[in-house]
Amino acid sequence: MRNSKRSFSFVLATLMALVLVLSACGGKDNNAAEGNTGTSTGGSSEKTVNLIWYTIGTPQKDVDRVMEEVSKYTKEKINATITMKMVDWGDYQQKMQVNVASGEPMDIIFTSAGGFDYVQNARKGAFMVLDDLLEQYGQDLKNTIDPAFLEGSKVDGHNYGIPANKELPQQEVWRFNKQFLDKYNLDISNVRSLESIEPLLKTIKENEPTITAFAMDKNYVPYVPYDYVVQNLPMAVKLDTTDYKIVNILETQEMKDALNLMRKYYKAGYIAPEAATTGSTSDLMTSSMWFMDRAQTQPSADNLWSQSYGYPVVSTPASDAIITNTSVQGSIMAISANSEYPEKAMEFLNLLNTDPVLRNMVDSGIEGVHYNKTDETHYENLPESKNYDMPSYSLGNNMLLYLNANDPDDKWEQFKTFNAAGVDSPILSFNFDSTKVASEMAAIQNVKEQYWSSLMTGTVEPDEFLPKAIEKFKEAGLDKVIAEAQTQLDAWRAANNK
Amino acid sequence: MAAFFRNLLKNKVMLFMVLPGALWFFFFSYMPLVGTIAAFKQYRFSREGFWASLAKSEWVGWDNFKFLFSTNDALLITRNTLLYNIAFIFIGLVLSVAMAVLLSELVNKRLAKVYQTGMFLPYFLSWVIVGYFAFSFLSMDRGMFNQIISWFGGDPIQWYSEAKYWPYILIFVSLWKSIGYNSVVYLASIMGIDKSLYEAAMIDGANKWQQVKNITIPMLSPIIIIMTLLAVGKIFYADFGLFYQVPRDSGPLYAVTNVIDTYVYRGLKTSGEIGMSTAAGLYQSVVGFALVMVSNYVVRKIDKDSALF
Repeated sequence: MRNSKRSFSFVLATLMALVLVLSACGGKDNNAAEGNTGTSTGGSSEKTVNLIWYTIGTPQKDVDRVMEEVSKYTKEKINATITMKMVDWGDYQQKMQVNVASGEPMDIIFTSAGGFDYVQNARKGAFMVLDDLLEQYGQDLKNTIDPAFLEGSKVDGHNYGIPANKELPQQEVWRFNKQFLDKYNLDISNVRSLESIEPLLKTIKENEPTITAFAMDKNYVPYVPYDYVVQNLPMAVKLDTTDYKIVNILETQEMKDALNLMRKYYKAGYIAPEAATTGSTSDLMTSSMWFMDRAQTQPSADNLWSQSYGYPVVSTPASDAIITNTSVQGSIMAISANSEYPEKAMEFLNLLNTDPVLRNMVDSGIEGVHYNKTDETHYENLPESKNYDMPSYSLGNNMLLYLNANDPDDKWEQFKTFNAAGVDSPILSFNFDSTKVASEMAAIQNVKEQYWSSLMTGTVEPDEFLPKAIEKFKEAGLDKVIAEAQTQLDAWRAANNK
Repeated sequence: MAAFFRNLLKNKVMLFMVLPGALWFFFFSYMPLVGTIAAFKQYRFSREGFWASLAKSEWVGWDNFKFLFSTNDALLITRNTLLYNIAFIFIGLVLSVAMAVLLSELVNKRLAKVYQTGMFLPYFLSWVIVGYFAFSFLSMDRGMFNQIISWFGGDPIQWYSEAKYWPYILIFVSLWKSIGYNSVVYLASIMGIDKSLYEAAMIDGANKWQQVKNITIPMLSPIIIIMTLLAVGKIFYADFGLFYQVPRDSGPLYAVTNVIDTYVYRGLKTSGEIGMSTAAGLYQSVVGFALVMVSNYVVRKIDKDSALF
């Protein structure tokens, strides 16, 4: 018995030694790789380089096939080939976190305010600073996309990514399932505020008891004229602010009134009883069993929705069009900090955002296989396109895309008008750095998860739960976080002459 | 040294058999131990990959552990994690052993197999699916329970907002899913008990209950102790799917459904602070390790042969 114990500890010691040897090897490998990087970027650009591009979306069957075609094109233009790796919607945040942390080779990374957070990861060192590269290789791009995008996506004064040129402001609208508007002859021209929808909801509830009158999922938040410092945390600045004071949104009169109204609607049965735990309303949309909801719009959005649902949908504004960090950072392509060929990557991004042929190839696939061009600016999908169905918003400049038969001819002109009409949020391009209050942020996130959805959807009584939530937020250190954010905001204001 | 190699040679077949398992543990349990350093660092990415990131990140001492203890929730999540696990361990133990005994006593072996498979099945379902099963019973407007309640003229219950029912629901769902698996372990050891013991007992006039009490349970006690010790080591880990998917992440239920794992997930899912999540994992492992050592020590004091080591 004793003998076996001793030999066991010997085995353990050997294993430990092996760990050390292996980890040392790992270190050496890295050094070797670093050496390579030095020579390849330092040397001439004779050799064709391969760029690895991580992007979001359900992996498509024909990605490699399309990228082969894309590579032929880019090889000719900038002497680089492209490998695209798609990571599915739900996994993107987590998988990219791991890929970047473990030093997986990659050159171009899709990032946004929602998936694989742009600002946080820029600060953690995941992306390369693009200021000089943009100057050197990105002039065409700078002339093509709306300057507000590059300005608004700066983090601490530096560009870490190339935003996609698309709709710039975010504007909330009330969407209506048109068949019910027609059936009950309802007028939406006077609808705008949360109060103004009540008579419509009432009519629907009385006449169509099986329909969800006001559809929403657990991410719904009533609109109040504030811009959030951190998305979905109760720290916000009023849109018409003059003193740039950050307030707890739950303590504002606007939010209190909105929550009381939501509660009223919930009790009246306008809202689905399980709204606070519902992940998505797509079932309702498919079955057409809804009357209205709230969504973010873009030019000719009604068209888009009606097409994708297969029945007419109309909308009317619920807010002004505001340019915020979230809207500017909705889709960004960054160059990975460990990229071996940052110059080539920048050249590629420049080309992708300015060259219609490349941009449409990436978006729709191979001409004659996945789509056909009907004229200079129009295209139609072929049956094969189901094997290459890509999310357009995440793949660079949208305004180069060909139009389909249902699009208005001036679609991108409409976008330009829409973008020009947007109003800047007072805190546009201020990005809160939460490093100093990281443990408070974790605690606050937990409080938010506990109270947010049930308050916002009207599932619980605000008179009882709002004070509770405010108290819990304070306990978790919200005041300290707001104070820290205020300090940073004041410094930012001073630096930017706001 | 020579003795060691002789020993190695002598046991080569046995050692070869444990090799796959040993390699698995080496790669997935021992190698990552180096990474626990991240718990004491503010992890930042470095150009040269993981090791360089780890080496170059700034030391922050115990800062990463603070968020676990910074609010009153610390007490709540620790209490929930511990109490639920204690309930799972003990109720689960009693029911699994009882099921195993019942199954072993069934005369119709074909039926016994059917029951066994039926009980085993939930073990293979993912928590997401189990969550939807529960939802079909508990949904406010379409759930089976609320429909039954309204048939009898009662008021429907908002299951996903009423915390008081959830300790029972969670314990029930957890046991439903795990008992089948555990009872198979006990059933296997019951099958290994020498039949002559029962024959001797029957000749002495012992009834079924006396046989179970005086033969089956004592013969099972080593495996019961091992299974319990292993479970105690995991007492600071909560089954994430059970506490997140089954209550549908409903805020009003947090008082009884928030456990260490869900707290860490909710706190860090948006910030992705690797240092802080490593800290939480390290904390759970250290407490689990301490608990195994203590309980093993206690077992050894009572009965030396039953202890794990």
